[in-house]
Amino acid sequence: MGSIDAPLQPEALSALLARSGGGDRRAFAELYRMTSAKLFGVALRILRRRDWAEEILQESYLNVWNHASDYAASRSAPMTWMTSIVRNRSLDWLRRARCEDAREDYELLAGNLRDEAPDPLERLAQSATASALVRCLERLDEHQRQCIVLAFVHGLSHPELAQQMNQPLGTVKTWIRRALARLRTCLQGAGL
Amino acid sequence: MNRVQLRDEIAAEYVLGTLRGRARLRFRRLLDRDGELRRCVAEWEARLAPLDELAQPVEPPARVWRAIASRIGAAPARIRWWQGLSFWRSLAVASTAASLALGLYLLAVPRPEPAVDTVAILSDEGSRPVMVVSWPPQEAGGDYPLRVRMLEPLPRLPARASWQLWMLPGPGAAPIPLGLLGAHRAQLVRLEPEIAATIGRAWGMALSVEPEGGSPTGAPTGPMILKGRCVKVS
Repeated sequence: MGSIDAPLQPEALSALLARSGGGDRRAFAELYRMTSAKLFGVALRILRRRDWAEEILQESYLNVWNHASDYAASRSAPMTWMTSIVRNRSLDWLRRARCEDAREDYELLAGNLRDEAPDPLERLAQSATASALVRCLERLDEHQRQCIVLAFVHGLSHPELAQQMNQPLGTVKTWIRRALARLRTCLQGAGL
Repeated sequence: MNRVQLRDEIAAEYVLGTLRGRARLRFRRLLDRDGELRRCVAEWEARLAPLDELAQPVEPPARVWRAIASRIGAAPARIRWWQGLSFWRSLAVASTAASLALGLYLLAVPRPEPAVDTVAILSDEGSRPVMVVSWPPQEAGGDYPLRVRMLEPLPRLPARASWQLWMLPGPGAAPIPLGLLGAHRAQLVRLEPEIAATIGRAWGMALSVEPEGGSPTGAPTGPMILKGRCVKVS
């Protein structure tokens, strides 16, 4: 089963979700084929362990299967709806797991961050749907922007962010609060 | 700060992922009965969703889908190993090691009579050649069995199981059962006449572990442990 290279069409995914909600297992298998690589990537970024990410992916798709018929009511884009399920389950898992080797994973992550493209936002800006968010992120101070990306994409908690940014916990919390408030104002200005 | 702002702020931190621990659980319980708060969360999810593009897609292993399918009763939609693209891809890669083994094999064994026309070197998952299957042209009415020779001993067979040899007609097409094998170093597999008539078009060969006496369904049901491409040698 492979992911497809073409962009995920919201209309096609919505139709597959609707059919899955009606108990159509073939539609659900197709939905999995089209979206699982993307969602596995999201879970891996947050959890940083393959075995955990596999577990979460499995639970998340069972959740999608069981609640596909509720999807229409949520009025979200299909990929946003499914990604939120994976994100929430991953974050809940981190709370439960609280493992001793978290620190080691964290060091690994720091290495990964250095390897990444000079500015991950550049990559993002190439996607049209993301351009408003990128414009607004660019208006933030650099450390605020870093905090937002590290928290959302890599699942860093407040204490992990404080360590990564080498700042007191209170400072990082304030940065994030301010960054979110500024993002909200900026994105609402763009009609989002 | 007013109450509405505070609620929106907490919703934002929930979506961002920095609301953790008991606070996260309490917020989740609140969400269940507060439609206005759910709307705040949905808005923040839509705002931040483009950031998910930063996570590179990673193909999950096949066992994840198998586990999901078994729990929703989707057995018919199960993807069998020979239907997966990766199986056919790996076969193409494995053929490099196999062609080396083929050269050595043809040098090492005297040409049998009648002359062998097609050879398949079957390799294990580590691309190690383990078994050679060869056969002469199957002319109409001819009764030439497939010759099977082990280059390495086969792994231990589980209790009440059999080795079954399959012909692979081509990418995506269902394998055709050829016969059961033992563990001997050299053996012959006699083909049914209708299969003998099609063996000239064989694309590859595979060996699977099946219940004693062979697959009950006519399609492979157990793990495929060896596989290889067919090569015309004359």
